Amino acid sequence: MGRPESQPQNLSIYIAIPFCQVRCAYCDFNTFAGLDDLMAPYARALAREIRLVGEAAAGRPVHTIFFGGGTPSLLPLLVYQDIFAVLRGAFALTTDCEITLEANPGTVDAAYLLGLRALGVSRLSFGVQSTHASELRLLDRLHSFEDVRQAVALARAAGFDRASHGLNLDLIFGTPHQTLAMWQASLLRVLALEPEHLSLYALSLEHGTPLRSWVQRGLLPMPDADLAAEMYGWAGELLAAHGYGQYEISNWALPEKAEGRSRRSDPQVSDLRLLAPGRYQCRHNLQYWRNRPYLGLGAGAHGCAAGWRYSNVLAPGAYIARLEHGVVGEFPFSPAAVERTRQTRADEMGETMLLGLRLTAEGVGGADFEARFGATLAAAYGRRLRHLRGLGLLAWDEAGARLTPAGRLLGNRVFREFV
Amino acid sequence: MDTAHIRNFCIIAHIDHGKSTLADRLLHLTGTVPDRDTTEQILDSMDLEREKGVTIKASAVRMSYTAADGQQYEMNLIDTPGHVDFGYEVSRALAACEGAVLVVDATQGIEAQTLANLYLALGAGLEVLPVINKIDLPSADPVGVAQEIANLLGGDAQAVLPISAKEGTGVPALLERIVEHIPPPKGDSSAPARALIFDSHYDPYKGVIAYVRVVSGQIRMGARFKLMATGVQGEPLEIGVFTPGMTPTGELSAGEVGYVATGLKTVQQCRVGDTLTLAANPAPEPLPGYQKAKPMVFAGLYPVDGEDYANLKEALDKLQLNDASLTFEPETSQALNFGFRCGFLGLFHMDIVQERLEREYDLDILATAPSVEYEVLLTSGETRLIDSPADLPDESVIEAVREPWMRIQIFTPETYYGTIMELVTRRRGAFVEQEYPAPGRVLLTYDIPLAELIVDFYDQLKSRTRGYASLDYQFHSYRQEDLIKLQILINEEPVDALAMIVHRAEAYAKGQALVSKLKELIPSQQFTIPIQAAGGGRIISRANVRALKKDVLAKCYGGDISRKKKLLEKQKRGKRRMKMVGAVEIPQEAFMAVLRLGDD
Ligand SMILES: Nc1nc2c(ncn2[C@@H]2O[C@H](COP(=O)(O)OP(=O)(O)OP(=O)(O)O)[C@@H](O)[C@H]2O)c(=O)[nH]1
Ligand SMILES: C[S@@+](CC[C@H](N)C(=O)[O-])C[C@H]1O[C@@H](n2cnc3c(N)ncnc32)[C@H](O)[C@@H]1O
Ligand code: SF4
Ligand SMILES: [Mg+2]
Repeated sequence: MGRPESQPQNLSIYIAIPFCQVRCAYCDFNTFAGLDDLMAPYARALAREIRLVGEAAAGRPVHTIFFGGGTPSLLPLLVYQDIFAVLRGAFALTTDCEITLEANPGTVDAAYLLGLRALGVSRLSFGVQSTHASELRLLDRLHSFEDVRQAVALARAAGFDRASHGLNLDLIFGTPHQTLAMWQASLLRVLALEPEHLSLYALSLEHGTPLRSWVQRGLLPMPDADLAAEMYGWAGELLAAHGYGQYEISNWALPEKAEGRSRRSDPQVSDLRLLAPGRYQCRHNLQYWRNRPYLGLGAGAHGCAAGWRYSNVLAPGAYIARLEHGVVGEFPFSPAAVERTRQTRADEMGETMLLGLRLTAEGVGGADFEARFGATLAAAYGRRLRHLRGLGLLAWDEAGARLTPAGRLLGNRVFREFV
Repeated sequence: MDTAHIRNFCIIAHIDHGKSTLADRLLHLTGTVPDRDTTEQILDSMDLEREKGVTIKASAVRMSYTAADGQQYEMNLIDTPGHVDFGYEVSRALAACEGAVLVVDATQGIEAQTLANLYLALGAGLEVLPVINKIDLPSADPVGVAQEIANLLGGDAQAVLPISAKEGTGVPALLERIVEHIPPPKGDSSAPARALIFDSHYDPYKGVIAYVRVVSGQIRMGARFKLMATGVQGEPLEIGVFTPGMTPTGELSAGEVGYVATGLKTVQQCRVGDTLTLAANPAPEPLPGYQKAKPMVFAGLYPVDGEDYANLKEALDKLQLNDASLTFEPETSQALNFGFRCGFLGLFHMDIVQERLEREYDLDILATAPSVEYEVLLTSGETRLIDSPADLPDESVIEAVREPWMRIQIFTPETYYGTIMELVTRRRGAFVEQEYPAPGRVLLTYDIPLAELIVDFYDQLKSRTRGYASLDYQFHSYRQEDLIKLQILINEEPVDALAMIVHRAEAYAKGQALVSKLKELIPSQQFTIPIQAAGGGRIISRANVRALKKDVLAKCYGGDISRKKKLLEKQKRGKRRMKMVGAVEIPQEAFMAVLRLGDD
């Protein structure tokens, strides 16, 4: 049961598009290569799910939408025209609604991007991963860095510029054989493209991925965690020098009115906290980290709303089948939801901590926490917070709690105190 | 009942030879406990006893038996623990009986505690009735084992009774033999009352329940009692017998075994070994008591969470009510803050106490490595008893350090003679003598420092002899040795709880072994942690636990946080028994590392 909120909260919507051209060597997301035939029925099922859930949501305002993958840029523009029509009919989108779409370089052309922008997509996210041909090959990526440059130029021309919610580029570091010099080169090349947002992900060797089995069989060296830490530290300094502000463990954004790459001193944490959420910070992901409600639509999508965490069936075929006969259910569930977990107050508090502490600048605000749960941070977690502060992993004062620079790399040691 | 129809006996044996199972059969056969009650080891009433299949506390029970002669007998049985840590329970039980049934496992033959307990029983003047148990097992060798017993006790091998406690074979015959061979108690019902307290437990409503064997006279409700050693007097709240539950009878007469609910609030007032008499007509002399069990090993117990200190104290208080051999006093450690120095009968006893604290009182506790009690003679002439290595004063003020030595008996097939000799001498032990109580097997006697015995000795013995050797030990004497303190520094700080007292000649090897073990056991943290061992005024060994640079999940899976939580939960489970020492998290195993330095 949702706790009474003083005012109806803005919702976010995640929409899963689980299709890829090939599966990358490191990726274990719920995505499928070779199921292109299902795209059309999938889009129809999705439209139906949007309508059903929208009806149950009864007009709650939506301020972010995220098309994630998989590779959303594989769906044709015509399909998006239908989906957007349905979305706008079913939900009340706020005027500056942030609408992100993940795209793979090499899958987009000028007309496609112009079309998306016209439909209302306001933010693009490209998976770059690396700028080195050798690494891209190792990771089984289909594109080159040249493709990335072109895609970025096309996106800029299509209006994904500073007036939109900007452009994000994903990079992965800590891959086998990667040297610090290679990482530095990739970062510098990517910075030259002046993205408003950067996500830098440390490689994790996921179960069932080819990359993991290659490492386990000794065909590739085990990525060195110490080196990855060094890469991370180095990247943080470089990005700060280029005017990017870190706001989450893996995410950086330019401030709204940054003039090119002016050097500026490290922003005081408290100053950053005073800024309105930067235009280029990903509002959608902030919704997760602030533990605010979001709906998950599409195969394998996760949602959290009205006191529930839930997720949809994974396989696109099963998803389509479930929506064929589905009817409007109790908010927030769609006929595709297969797992539902009720959130207790204790769950919600703990999750607010372990998600919120990922936000390196704002952390978990003391006043926000108290307003939400009717208990101070000290009352709820005083002992643990003192312990973590003693370890030098956490800063905790009247304003709230947030990771120290040392804590950013050892986040799990902090988060696990709250599960 | 007239004493001629009373039989008081206990069951003694080496550990696991089947005492408690035999007690079950006796209880069923005599109808004391209905056969339908299929619980096994009925007298092992503690959860822990049942789970481990081991008797920890002796227990008494009264049975009524109609013998072949048509007469009815009152039989008082005391089941005893087999583990050597609880040997003192056996001697208490013996003092309350006229006879002992000695159980020998037909698949194992005589073992060290078979011998030790047999000698105790003979020494206490008891009639010993040997039986060979587990004859239902295919690997049983009743003939060979009977011969071993006959060699030991004299007499005819044919006369030793073969039984299966599990299936009941031979157990009716055993009942008859008990009636025939175990003498009835002697004791004058008209003399002043004297009852030996041979055990006790605490009941929240009735206070300390004293387990008594009435030796002379009579005790009954309404007659005030007096405890002769402490002088404490009181009114009995209840008097009765164990059947095996407590059944009030209102009185107990000479020769009988039962209980008196004293209403007393502490076991200190009602000591095991004391004599209970009547306040109105006290006996002139107490019965010979037996010595209180003395703790042999000492360890610090600390709450993992400092806020549990008061709960730990309360739990120890409660445990002590039923376990007079447990001692404790407050202790402060720089590393571990506030806790208790506890004394135990042995490592097994220590394990049990630790487990009960965690289970019955739901406490997360951390134990330091066990130590023995040293006698330290200072240059000032003062002698100090030291049971915590951290307390050993500076070498400059020490005249001499004396440590407890044990006399041990190892009973083993001859083939393992060499490897046992090697194990013992490596542990500073010295050979005393050998005997051959059974063909092909030898009883080896050594003297060895207790400190060496508590460090993994038993496991080593078992593994070197493939489980065939068995061990028994008793305190022997204090001896002067060249002992020094080995200190461990973690992150440049000495950690008192990791200090140990070692022989000077072994300081170097032990220091190195301990440092490398600690390096393995202390998990990487966010900074490099130097570990050093220091002894005799210098650093003996050092190593670093490398800093952990990165432990964080980079990604956000489209709002899938359950997956992340699962991983964190898994990490967290690994963390339960960690203690913060300064800025370093040290796991419980690190404090026990000294016990696992290995012999190879
Ligand atoms: N096959 C067989 N097993 C038996 C017999 N008697 C006992 N056992 C088994 O031997 C094991 C030890 O039996 P217990 O009765 O607990 O032995 P104990 O001597 O009381 O042991 P402690 O109290 O630990 O010294 C148990 O697994 C019993 O089931 C028997 O006659 N036959
Ligand atoms: C699910 S992908 C979707 C984006 C798009 N399909 C693409 O690959 O460009 C989002 C990002 O997660 C990151 N990612 C996926 N698997 C990862 C792994 N095992 N370790 C680190 N980052 C990973 C990649 O940087 C990827 O761009
Ligand atoms: S990384 Fe992106 S393109 Fe590669 S398999 Fe995963 S979702 Fe598909
Ligand atoms: Mg037993």
